[in-house]
Amino acid sequence: MTTVPSSAMPSHTGVRWRSALAQNMPLLLAFAILGGLTAVYVGLFHGQLDAFPGSFEWTSIVNTAMPTVLVAVGQTIVVLTRGIDLSVGGVIDLSNALAATQMQDSVASMVGWSLAILAIGAAFGALNGVLVAYGRLQPILVTLATLAILQGLALRALPEPGGVIPASYSDALANPGGPWSLLFVLAVALGWLMLRRARIGVRIFAIGNDEQAARAHGIPVRRVKVVAYALSGLLAAASGLFLSATTTGGDATAGDVYILTSIAAVVLGGISFFGGRGSALGAIAGAFVLTVLTNVLFFAGIDPLYQSFFQGLFLVVAVLLGAVLGRLLRGSA
Amino acid sequence: MSTPQPSASSGVRVAESLTPDRRRTLVTFGAAILVFVVGAFLHEGFASASSVKAIMVVASFVGIVAAGQTLVILVGGIDLSVPWVLNAAAVLFATASLGRDTRAAYAVLVALGLGAAVGLVNGLLIAYLAVPAVVMTLAMNGIMEGLTLGRTQGLTCETCASYAPPSLQEAIHSDVLGIPVDLLLWLGVVLLVTLVLSFTTFGRRVYATGNNPVAAFLAGVSVRVVTVVLYMLSGVFAALAGIVLVAYSGQPTLGMGDPFLFQSIAAVVIGGVSILGGRGHYLGTVAGAVGLVGLISLLQAQNMPEYGRSIVYGVAILVVLLLFGREERT
Repeated sequence: MTTVPSSAMPSHTGVRWRSALAQNMPLLLAFAILGGLTAVYVGLFHGQLDAFPGSFEWTSIVNTAMPTVLVAVGQTIVVLTRGIDLSVGGVIDLSNALAATQMQDSVASMVGWSLAILAIGAAFGALNGVLVAYGRLQPILVTLATLAILQGLALRALPEPGGVIPASYSDALANPGGPWSLLFVLAVALGWLMLRRARIGVRIFAIGNDEQAARAHGIPVRRVKVVAYALSGLLAAASGLFLSATTTGGDATAGDVYILTSIAAVVLGGISFFGGRGSALGAIAGAFVLTVLTNVLFFAGIDPLYQSFFQGLFLVVAVLLGAVLGRLLRGSA
Repeated sequence: MSTPQPSASSGVRVAESLTPDRRRTLVTFGAAILVFVVGAFLHEGFASASSVKAIMVVASFVGIVAAGQTLVILVGGIDLSVPWVLNAAAVLFATASLGRDTRAAYAVLVALGLGAAVGLVNGLLIAYLAVPAVVMTLAMNGIMEGLTLGRTQGLTCETCASYAPPSLQEAIHSDVLGIPVDLLLWLGVVLLVTLVLSFTTFGRRVYATGNNPVAAFLAGVSVRVVTVVLYMLSGVFAALAGIVLVAYSGQPTLGMGDPFLFQSIAAVVIGGVSILGGRGHYLGTVAGAVGLVGLISLLQAQNMPEYGRSIVYGVAILVVLLLFGREERT
């Protein structure tokens, strides 16, 4: 595709800009929503407290968003293959339960158990992938079943909420002293950009766009799907580790909410549920939107009991906005 | 029966004359019965009349919710909003009745109306604005959760302590001809849904839409209207389950709908309804609900801890899927 002579490219730069805009509209919209919402947050914060949000506030936002960021990127990869992963909640449950019960306050234990938990997450993800790709089963059903299995294992590891996470582990992953976790966000974003350009990334998009065509072009569809689900499991386990670090304790059901929040972040990130279109950068923005939204609702003085009402409403409006803008841009391009 | 046949070959003939979907429904019923037979051996009294009755009552709650879930899954959709539609309807039913018999009919109608209204909104946005069903119903679940919690201030409002009208509580706990009224109600739902799916034009349109929406549209089926009606019915059935649950247990609680999301989907799947739409029947879902609840009850009777039940539950779904739920090789 790089051999197209420049004379063959459309000469009307306006048209090109417009189609590029239409193509990246969902991603741009996700960041526009994040920007707008952050501005509202800063405004409300200033109105209430007569000061701007400082290091403490930003650190808290980043640390709260981190587990969602990680799990949402994993969910994105699976959604791009036209699948869905409901088991991420169970992986987070199990990771959290294992971390809170097994991790000792020594570097060897912390590193060892972190790696073990990541491996367990990836293994369960790969199991999902094998069942979907080789078992020819529907993703939503497979991951529903493995979710129940993972929830059971998590309860076995930690029947009652409790356990402790070493303080040094919390400081390393989710340091309350400053928004250092942004470095992890950056790392995840870079990892995504590399994946996107690597062979596996291209194949994931190809499968999501047209599985039959991908197979006809010699893409090993089944193996790629296994890798996609394994990555989702791996990132969910990482999310569980971050959650453990921020909550400093264990709860075998703490991960369940992330099933829906990961999907919500993917939706807000403008990733198509019909596969093959979208960017994990959007899901990262979506994860932050959800966290900032909680803060906005708090500073707007909205009864916390109504929180999920506004989150649901926000989700619908964001999807409709994306659909309307997409239609307008495509219509005029 | 004008041409008598040797019994063995006529049995084979009957089996061969059935469509794969019908055979699948029969297999699910067989599996559900097997759960009870195995249970009778493992646990004395598991298959006794009173035990079976109790299990069937629990299955009826799942089965009523799963009726709506079956309908939307038949057109390739899904309804993730059932937990809080059920919960909101349950709370609305109790608070609107104020625990008085004179307000019972009004309360039932208001609660069912809420379910229909929520389903209408789901259906309209899914069918006319092309919002993905997963996203729309997920968001709607949050919307209903927030409304329920906020409007009742976490179920601490003045009327929130209301019980279900005593006459309804009494009715749901009584037996007619030895059968609990709750089960008769479920039987009514089964008959209604079966009648609609198998013997009406609307039922044919549902299957046509589920198999191929474009072909159905070209054949003159108003695909969008069918979709909206099905989501409305799903809301109504979730609300009905909420009402029955409140009448059964006396009062609504927060989070009472949560277990029904995955259980209703599991019952549909075990019952052989294809998640891709167009294939399966509510009768399969009924067998799925009975088998699923039977299995969970058996594990409970065996004193299996919660974690073990959860694992067995997941493995059972996987086994059923691997046996029956595999897609055609492409």
